[in-house]
Amino acid sequence: MKKTIYVLLAALLLTISATAQSLNITDADGIIYQFLAANMTESSAAAFGADENSVTINGKTFYFTGISSMTAKSTSDVENNTVSIVYNGSTAIVTIAGNVAPYVTATVNGAHVTIAQSNTDAVDGDEITYVLSGTTTDGEFALSGSYKCTVSLAGLTLTNPSGAAINITNGKRIQISAKNGTVNTLTDGTGGSQKGCIYSKGQIQLQGKGTLNVVGNTKHAIKSGDYITVKNLTLNITSSVGDGISCNEYFQMKSGVVTISGVGDDGIQCDLDGTTSTGETADHEDEDSGNIYIEGGTLNISVTGNATWDSEDSEVKGTKCISADGDMKISGGTLTLTNSGSGGKGIKVDGKLTISDDANLTVTTTGYIAYCSSTSNTTIRTTTSSSTTEKLDDALKTSPKGIKADGAMTISGGTTVVSAKYHEAIETKSTLDITGGYVYAESGDDAINSSSHMTISGGYVMANSSGNDGLDANGNMYIKGGNVFAIAKTTPEVGLDANTEGGYKLYISGGNVVAIGGFESGASITGGTAKSASYTKGAWYGLYNGGTQVFAFKVPSNSSMGSTMAVYTTGTPALSKGVTTSGTSFWNDNGYSSFSGGSSVSLSNYSSGGGGPGGGGPGGH
Amino acid sequence: MAMMGILTVQADDTTYPYLTFETTDGTKSSVSVSSDQTITISGNTLTIGGQSFTLANLSKMYFSTSDQTTGISEIMKADLEEATEIYDLRGCKISKDQMSRGIYVIKTNKGTFKVNVK
Repeated sequence: MKKTIYVLLAALLLTISATAQSLNITDADGIIYQFLAANMTESSAAAFGADENSVTINGKTFYFTGISSMTAKSTSDVENNTVSIVYNGSTAIVTIAGNVAPYVTATVNGAHVTIAQSNTDAVDGDEITYVLSGTTTDGEFALSGSYKCTVSLAGLTLTNPSGAAINITNGKRIQISAKNGTVNTLTDGTGGSQKGCIYSKGQIQLQGKGTLNVVGNTKHAIKSGDYITVKNLTLNITSSVGDGISCNEYFQMKSGVVTISGVGDDGIQCDLDGTTSTGETADHEDEDSGNIYIEGGTLNISVTGNATWDSEDSEVKGTKCISADGDMKISGGTLTLTNSGSGGKGIKVDGKLTISDDANLTVTTTGYIAYCSSTSNTTIRTTTSSSTTEKLDDALKTSPKGIKADGAMTISGGTTVVSAKYHEAIETKSTLDITGGYVYAESGDDAINSSSHMTISGGYVMANSSGNDGLDANGNMYIKGGNVFAIAKTTPEVGLDANTEGGYKLYISGGNVVAIGGFESGASITGGTAKSASYTKGAWYGLYNGGTQVFAFKVPSNSSMGSTMAVYTTGTPALSKGVTTSGTSFWNDNGYSSFSGGSSVSLSNYSSGGGGPGGGGPGGH
Repeated sequence: MAMMGILTVQADDTTYPYLTFETTDGTKSSVSVSSDQTITISGNTLTIGGQSFTLANLSKMYFSTSDQTTGISEIMKADLEEATEIYDLRGCKISKDQMSRGIYVIKTNKGTFKVNVK
């Protein structure tokens, strides 16, 4: 029995101690090639050259004169398909797994590591992974090739004072993954020619459950010539001369936490790569749209950069937290975007903007309006008043809007809170359709503005303007449903403003509406009843529709507001003042789903007037 | 029983405790790599764990799961007495007094032999 146990013990020890034998060959440049025993068996044996000067292992030939050491080890350090790079001060140790040795050529100069990867297909069914770790203040990881690969950051602190920290000229898809539990910090040099601290000619998939900190001292923090996706990663961009993230084709955030601050230009910018957009494609295959997709995660962007004169485009250009050449779709995630730069915007979309599902946005802009007097005098000036710049060409000015889309805007879900101190909070140069979700817009100009028709058929919308109209459509405005609370500055501004001068009209046919400053004169009001009332600043009111509670709302305390409050419901409206709120809060806590108490408010018949702005005063008590 | 359980789990992993060298005439010599073994090449000779091979005679080198040494010569006790160097399978140089049952490599004036002491 004792003998049996000894035999078992011996077998066990043998098993444990010999699970990962390897043959290590170090070349004259210090590069280590590690051939795992399992890849170097009798059927895949190393072959000694007939010339007596070389040995070939797994397709890689070594000449004895180029070998500095060779060791058969009882253990191994790297897995198949892996290249380990450990930075240590002014040096770097590169260990290449034997099965990819024929495809990987490494050059090490101090801690500057350059890899040339030659495979054009998977190796043993997989791509090559470069595992980077260690610390250096004068290092680099540069990679060329023509097949996709992964760069795994496993606790790396790397500064390259003379270029990009990671420079990938391989045009294929590159995964840059921060290993779970690790913190990685990359910094590039100042005054270089690199496009980013992390640069990739091809697509970048940023992922991993670790943390990646990036500083861009010459231009962008992260730059890709193609698309960028983000998943799981905690990404902190703490400083960049240009954009935090700059890419082409499209940008997609699925999950993770991305925090961008200290940038000189945009937080995230996505450009069209070619000249013609493919539009969104199935699974984004071969997509080149300039689109941005935010589907989940947490995105915090704080931008402070002021507007500058762009001599290339001959226009005054402001910074943006997020800028898309194409469309933008926000279907999830929590976005907190702040821009204090002159002419700075929270979101700027050249195409269409869609907000839906679980999107949760808070956008704040506090910068002044930026302008210059002419193309020959491009000194940037600032003002708080739109009237100062209204006669200037568009190229000579840029306004600090919260959210701006050149294309159609659709809001069907989520929560959107936007504050713009000196210009529109939400603006589209096309149509606006709100079918759901919670929207709160606060501005010193129009709170919500559309250059074409505006339609609200669902959701909760509060448009709080302290300097212009609450809701302003330069086409028709249709209120077909939902819950609307609009606040305008005193006459001639109105709570709900359609372009009557242009031959358009306000149509109210459904929903529940409260408008301080009233409705556009000549409005078509059908399917319900409109009333007027006086109001008290800062007071809480409860709105009833035929005796049924609709919502509670708090009247702002803006310094200058329209003189009356118009209300509309599909039944008979009623108001209580001084209510106690409960239930679900919305509109930046200026609205609640339920209320109780309060005292009845006297309502008078509403007169829609015969045309011209500012109509809709009390019809008499 | 617990040990049996552990053994079962570990047994799924193939282990290669030997690095085997094959010469052009098909002769195989295995060297234990249970501990690290440095391979040196000097002139036309490759040396590992006390064994030396003429490069011109070597054809293959591979990891093996067992000792594949072939062509163990029958040597006379007198030859053993003339051994100039003796190595165990770990490559450690030992004296004749330290030899017990097992396989050893001995160098004599007649050449290098692998011996199985029973």
